[in-house]
Amino acid sequence: MWPRSLWLSWFFFSVLLGGGLRSNAQTLDHFKSRVKAHTLGNGMKWIVLERHDAPVASFHIHADVGSVNESYGITGISHLLEHLAFSGTKVVGTKDYSKESALLDQRDALFDQIQEEKARINADPLKLKELQEAFHQKRQEAQKFEVAREFVDLSVKEGDRGLGASTSADFTQYTSSLPSNRLEFWMALNSDRFMNPVFRGLYRERESVLNERWIRIESSPGSILDGKLREDLAAMAFKAHPYHHDVIGHRSDLERITRRDVENYFRKYYAPSNLTAAIVGDVNPEEVFRLAELYFGRIPSLPKPEAVRTQEPEQWGERRFQVSAKAEPLLVVGYHRPGINHKDRFVFEAVSTILGNGHSSRLHQALVEKKKVAVEIGSFNGWPGEKFPHLCVFYAVPARGHSSEECLRALDEEIEKVKSEPVTGDELAKFKNMTKKRLIDSMKTNAQLAALLTRAEVLLGGWQRMFDEMQEVEVVSPADIRRIARTFLVRKNRTIGEIVPEEDQQ
Amino acid sequence: MTKGLSRGVVGCLVALLGVECMAWAQKGPKEVFAFPPLNKINLPEIHEVTLTNQMKVFLVEDRDFPTVDYKLMVRTGTVHDPADKAGLAAMTASVLLTGGSENTPGDLMLKKLEMMGGSLTCDANEYTVMVDMSLLREHAELGLDLMADMLLHPAFPQDKIDLAKVQQRTAIARRNDITYTLAIREFRKVIYGSQSPYARHPEYATVSAITRRDILDFFRRYFQPNNTQITVRGDFDWKEMVALLEKKLAGWTAHPVHVPPDPKVNYRYDFSVSYVEKLDATQSIILIGHIGGLMNDPDYPVMQVLSAILSSERMFKKLSSEEGLYWAGGAYDFGYSHPAVFSVGSQTKSESTVKVVRKMLDELKRITEQEVSDEELDLVRKFTVNGFVFEFESKEQIVDRLALYKYFNFPNDFLETVMKKVEKVTKADVLRAARTHLHPDSVHILVVGNQAKFDAPLSVLGPVKTIDITIPQGEPAERNTK
Repeated sequence: MWPRSLWLSWFFFSVLLGGGLRSNAQTLDHFKSRVKAHTLGNGMKWIVLERHDAPVASFHIHADVGSVNESYGITGISHLLEHLAFSGTKVVGTKDYSKESALLDQRDALFDQIQEEKARINADPLKLKELQEAFHQKRQEAQKFEVAREFVDLSVKEGDRGLGASTSADFTQYTSSLPSNRLEFWMALNSDRFMNPVFRGLYRERESVLNERWIRIESSPGSILDGKLREDLAAMAFKAHPYHHDVIGHRSDLERITRRDVENYFRKYYAPSNLTAAIVGDVNPEEVFRLAELYFGRIPSLPKPEAVRTQEPEQWGERRFQVSAKAEPLLVVGYHRPGINHKDRFVFEAVSTILGNGHSSRLHQALVEKKKVAVEIGSFNGWPGEKFPHLCVFYAVPARGHSSEECLRALDEEIEKVKSEPVTGDELAKFKNMTKKRLIDSMKTNAQLAALLTRAEVLLGGWQRMFDEMQEVEVVSPADIRRIARTFLVRKNRTIGEIVPEEDQQ
Repeated sequence: MTKGLSRGVVGCLVALLGVECMAWAQKGPKEVFAFPPLNKINLPEIHEVTLTNQMKVFLVEDRDFPTVDYKLMVRTGTVHDPADKAGLAAMTASVLLTGGSENTPGDLMLKKLEMMGGSLTCDANEYTVMVDMSLLREHAELGLDLMADMLLHPAFPQDKIDLAKVQQRTAIARRNDITYTLAIREFRKVIYGSQSPYARHPEYATVSAITRRDILDFFRRYFQPNNTQITVRGDFDWKEMVALLEKKLAGWTAHPVHVPPDPKVNYRYDFSVSYVEKLDATQSIILIGHIGGLMNDPDYPVMQVLSAILSSERMFKKLSSEEGLYWAGGAYDFGYSHPAVFSVGSQTKSESTVKVVRKMLDELKRITEQEVSDEELDLVRKFTVNGFVFEFESKEQIVDRLALYKYFNFPNDFLETVMKKVEKVTKADVLRAARTHLHPDSVHILVVGNQAKFDAPLSVLGPVKTIDITIPQGEPAERNTK
């Protein structure tokens, strides 16, 4: 349940640009003037954008926590916690919490004992069997008090067409889309959720996540964004920084996470000062803030969690790995680059776009059209996350009868060209127009806008930056692109991964 | 007066006028809320015009964003591929785009579009070939020039046809790489028959057999303005846009078109068990079902409710929770012009395969034997009715839906009619519909996995047919070449 979307840079053009662009700027200024923000006493930030075309609203809560915050032993916990956020509270999802609570604790204590016994050098199989039976028994007793999926049902009954959540390396987000007259209902349901969560469904959700891990990673050789290739690319490219482990987490960690672990992690990372909410649609900002104070203001303040300390050092040389699988070849190359809050971030977007986005991109023309060594190519930034220094990625799907090696050689040729000669004025203009269009397309729905507002607030230092970064794209120059290419698109700075088909029959 | 007090006074005054008083105490999440009346939905005006060349146009002005979108639907589709040339429609669509026109070769055309930040795609599916162009408003006319040129003077050059074949062959080589896609594909063949146009897919031999002549014939046969409709949405004046379309497409003249009727589906209810071996699997994908229905069936509304209950309450909530599955669901699908597929599916560890199949079969039986519960019906009905407003959230959604209804000759208010019926569905209705349309004893079961790890042999369910998914190699000349 985590997104595979890769965020593009967000920026807006200046009102000073001429011609038919005036209506673009009007759109953006028009949006900006309809945004209001408010911070609660406990530090939780609220942003509202009014859109009254349809009597609906999209709700978005952004928790500034992702797999990047995880340490050894609890990888995968951010995502597991996201699943468990649908498990209910002291009020929702239970017939009688006072009775259920003791049973949950007893159930978990048995799980602890099982882990302890398993860890012994001379583990007693008989004792283990007894403990497991007792554990299953206690689980069933506790489940008698559970009202399955009550949180989901409550929201769905009110017409929630956008109920969901996702976890990435950088953040966790929770969404809803409801008829706009359900505003207070949403406040009541979701404030309770983040105030009194009970992670009762731990064992079931653990099973589900392990299955998800199997489906997305272990049984998928790959696509670029899923599968073994994805997990190993991060692992190989990041030896220190916590971008090295996948959002889904390591199997062995997932098997051992306890409810206590989840509660501690929740208390640490879901402090209200670490949460940002955005509501976009047919709502009144003053009403929203009043209700937010009333409902979410109840959550006690907690200290803001410490930021990630570890930084990824420079690579000592090019890294390469293979994934052996019953699948066709695939090539991926990742170059280290700075995090999103960097003055050159749009230059990196220009590099990706000009080299690898679209039919007229350099890689498509060279690898797909002319040399015919690939059937598809692409490039993107923001992987596996964007908050911290991360990767600028290129990939190629070799054509039948051609190899990843041929694609890599062709890729290298194109990268050398970008380093030696400046890109053309046409290519730069194309990049700017493509980015402008992408930007507009990304703002179409309430849900999209809510996500963009929270992202800008948390990652870029303020929701206004979504509307204010007008100058930055315009000033990207061919010299900038060449400079960035020469600095970052170098062998020592890259990790290469490929899928190598297994010899035997499928 | 403090701010709070003044609000209280205002709040109660408002109450005297009969409007909901503002709350001061927090409500619990399970309390009953009295919702204020929903603000009204603003429906956009959709203009329908037929051009001189008989092309139908649907236009909606959308001034919120400075863009223009053109969506063109040509009445044809992959079902009209000759059996020995499966892939023809897809290739025609692909090369129409990549080949460009006689004046502007494809690479240049796509480059010009990308220069403008625009996009142009052309894809074939079962029921249409769709050309989709999206541009910044300042390029609306330039884009139309390019699209018109492509439609009126398509080049279909041999080198792009060759390239399309490389891509098709590569897709064929990769088609077993993703287990889920593989399962769906094979299941459709079990339901419709492996030779049915609704299930058949390109092979190396059929791709090789396609010639430039075939592509030109396919194009001329279907790509006529009187066989096409277009929706245009964006930041323009609709009358000006109609004038623009008339002008730019004047050279595209109508010609007699004969679109064969959709191939018939001759379905016979039967029970079968099929198996696809995936030796590297530690999980199985299970699909169980039979033929679905047609959207103009009077039972469509009640079946939507049944389908939702079966999928979310029985498959997902119950089964998936019990077994800790990542997913389980299903749908009784309806087609506009031919019956779609009914299936329930799940993914489970190999060691639970037969157990889960049995549980799924039990659920199918149960829903035809006992009425669904009040809670289940209430949940699905409320979700549908309360969420109805979302069908009108964007102009794009509204006009695309209308275009589809028009394409298939469905009434404009089809959705509203269905909704009214859904509001009135009872438990007895659902049971009757289940008994009429679901046949738990005559289902096709497909399991993709590694039987060596199964909890029991599949044959306990019935005689098993093993499906060989080895990709047929085609002509010797096709192997290991581009």
